[in-house]
Amino acid sequence: MPFLLLIEDDDAIRTALELSLSRQGHRVATAATGEDGLKLLKEQRPDLVVLDVMLPGIDGFEVCRRIRRTDQLPIILLTARSDDIDVVVGLESGADDYVVKPVQGRVLDARIRAVLRRGERESTDSATFGSLVIDRSAMTVTKNGEDLQLTPTELRLLLELSRRPGQALSRQQLLRLVWEHDYLGDSRLVDACVQRLRAKVEDVPSSPTLIRTVRGVGYRLDVPA
Amino acid sequence: MFAGLRFTSLRLRLVVVFALVALTAAVSASGIAYWLNREAVLTRTQDGALNDFRQEMQNRAATLPLRPTEEDLRRTAEQMASGSAGYSVLLLGERDKGKPIIGASNPDTFTLADVPESLRVAVDTERPVREGDTSPYHLFWQRTQRGKTPYLVGGTRIAGGGPTGYMFKSLEAERADLNSLAWSLGIATALALVGSALLAQAAATTVLRPVHRLGEAARRLGEGKLDTRLRVSGTDELADLSRTFNSAAESLQKKVADMSAREESSRRFVADMSHELRTPLTALTAVTEVLEDEQDSLDPMIAPAVALVVSETRRLNDLVENLMEVTRFDAGTARLVLDDVDVADQVTACIDARAWLDAVELDAERGIMARLDPRRLDVILANLIGNALKHGGSPVRVAIRTEDGELVIEVRDHGPGIPEEVLPHVFDRFYKASASRPRSEGSGLGLSIAMENALIHGGSITAANSPDGDGAVFVLRLPQDDEQGEVEES
Repeated sequence: MPFLLLIEDDDAIRTALELSLSRQGHRVATAATGEDGLKLLKEQRPDLVVLDVMLPGIDGFEVCRRIRRTDQLPIILLTARSDDIDVVVGLESGADDYVVKPVQGRVLDARIRAVLRRGERESTDSATFGSLVIDRSAMTVTKNGEDLQLTPTELRLLLELSRRPGQALSRQQLLRLVWEHDYLGDSRLVDACVQRLRAKVEDVPSSPTLIRTVRGVGYRLDVPA
Repeated sequence: MFAGLRFTSLRLRLVVVFALVALTAAVSASGIAYWLNREAVLTRTQDGALNDFRQEMQNRAATLPLRPTEEDLRRTAEQMASGSAGYSVLLLGERDKGKPIIGASNPDTFTLADVPESLRVAVDTERPVREGDTSPYHLFWQRTQRGKTPYLVGGTRIAGGGPTGYMFKSLEAERADLNSLAWSLGIATALALVGSALLAQAAATTVLRPVHRLGEAARRLGEGKLDTRLRVSGTDELADLSRTFNSAAESLQKKVADMSAREESSRRFVADMSHELRTPLTALTAVTEVLEDEQDSLDPMIAPAVALVVSETRRLNDLVENLMEVTRFDAGTARLVLDDVDVADQVTACIDARAWLDAVELDAERGIMARLDPRRLDVILANLIGNALKHGGSPVRVAIRTEDGELVIEVRDHGPGIPEEVLPHVFDRFYKASASRPRSEGSGLGLSIAMENALIHGGSITAANSPDGDGAVFVLRLPQDDEQGEVEES
């Protein structure tokens, strides 16, 4: 049974979401502020965090950044579409996915399960791209022999790209493969995740040699010459 | 300045009027001056010459013997012509009865042939002597022309069988004087014309510069620069006009500011309200599913109430979502999230997601790529197709094609079409095709939101009735390759 931490300041929403998620078969811990949430995170080690953006005290973005300093566990943001900037900032601070309020419990549950699936092992081989070694059996990535700390989403994105080296994948394709989104996936999720992944795997993230942008199409993982 | 000179321009009209006034004044003044001068000059010359001639005739011709010799006549004529008046003389006498003789002072320049016939007749006519007119012969004169030179010819006859004398004076010098006068007057007229044109230009400039400034200011005001003001100088009518313009602009600016402040606050209110509504809606939405799942096991008395709560919560959700979408467009905070997509796939998915596959015929080829916001395309299509299904009924036909770098999606239904008077309003907010139609059929925002979503892409939607009278046609046009690229990373 997945164990979730829900950080949401509004009592009604928190209670309703806790009720809905519990019925979907999750174990839910809740916190009303970012500070409480971070404390709870250390004590209880949940599998995933559902995080409201608008929080009193330290806001959702800051909570997200603080979690990412030490942890790679999946984070789903609860946001409002009216604030487009929210989504961009949220994704830049390390969130894996976001849902727009008001959200149906079923939709949130589907997103949670999709995020959690990204960490599951699928095959047992490994692949090497220059100094980068992707071990699909241990679900680890090493660069020059050093372990890289990747979130499950980053790891899944790298796995999907490495499964088709040299082949460009569109953002919509990646959204289906990695995020399991329908046809209305937000391409900014892909862009933000690629940025974070590049920061970890590229020698010079600003001039990538592994994960290349293909204009008008999407992204491609290149085998270094 | 002259580039904009039209026939009807104020400047040209001023110049023409000034020139006409100057021309009339100059021509009439010159004409009168010329005429008076000419008369004075000619009369003086003529009177001098004729008086002198008469004097000479009496002094010399009358003293000739009754039957003079040709030599006598010639000498006398020469003596008469030698005076200061400068004319030639011709004397006609009779040596014997019926034997006319002629004596000329200057036979090369003046012969009898130069004397007009009418003058000779007049001179030779003997008049009856009456009281107050004691002479049977008078002095007659005529101005004539030989070649191109004007001449004065005069003649008289000595009473009592004396000789007839003719004088012949060239008016060349007078003509030259008068010609030079005419030239001077002509030049003066021309100068007056030029002067008037320059004056007209200056007048036009002093009038037209403020008018031009006023026009420029009015244009800027029209472009929405409401802080446009004119510098007022002087107290003339144009300064008054500038002041009027300034006060009009000021009150306009104030009114617009008032209106936009009011509009802004009402927009803010709607935006804030929809935000506020969302919090309870989020909680409600999260639990409606719980209620929905339990519906079957509920008391049959309570189940319909639960169903109502569930469905109305959804509707409230849609309404608030639409309201927020509209306020985002109004506030200009709506942003495009562009991606390269296969349009046919997107349309198919849109139809599929709403379970419309059976009711919609799709005419599209895969592989038409476009750079657009997939979510906004979905909103547009859902509204257009949903609208077509609701008002036109199935089958709805959706055709996708490209035209000159434009993506064209046509949604055609086979319903009764849109009444002509409704057609211009189909994209208006909260516009209902019929007042009697219940409000519950939709939020009234769908097509307006679809239009806004098309516009933000730099595209458009047009609504029309099918020419064959079979249903309504909505045509969405979007640029295939949107260059705005806001979220494009390099």
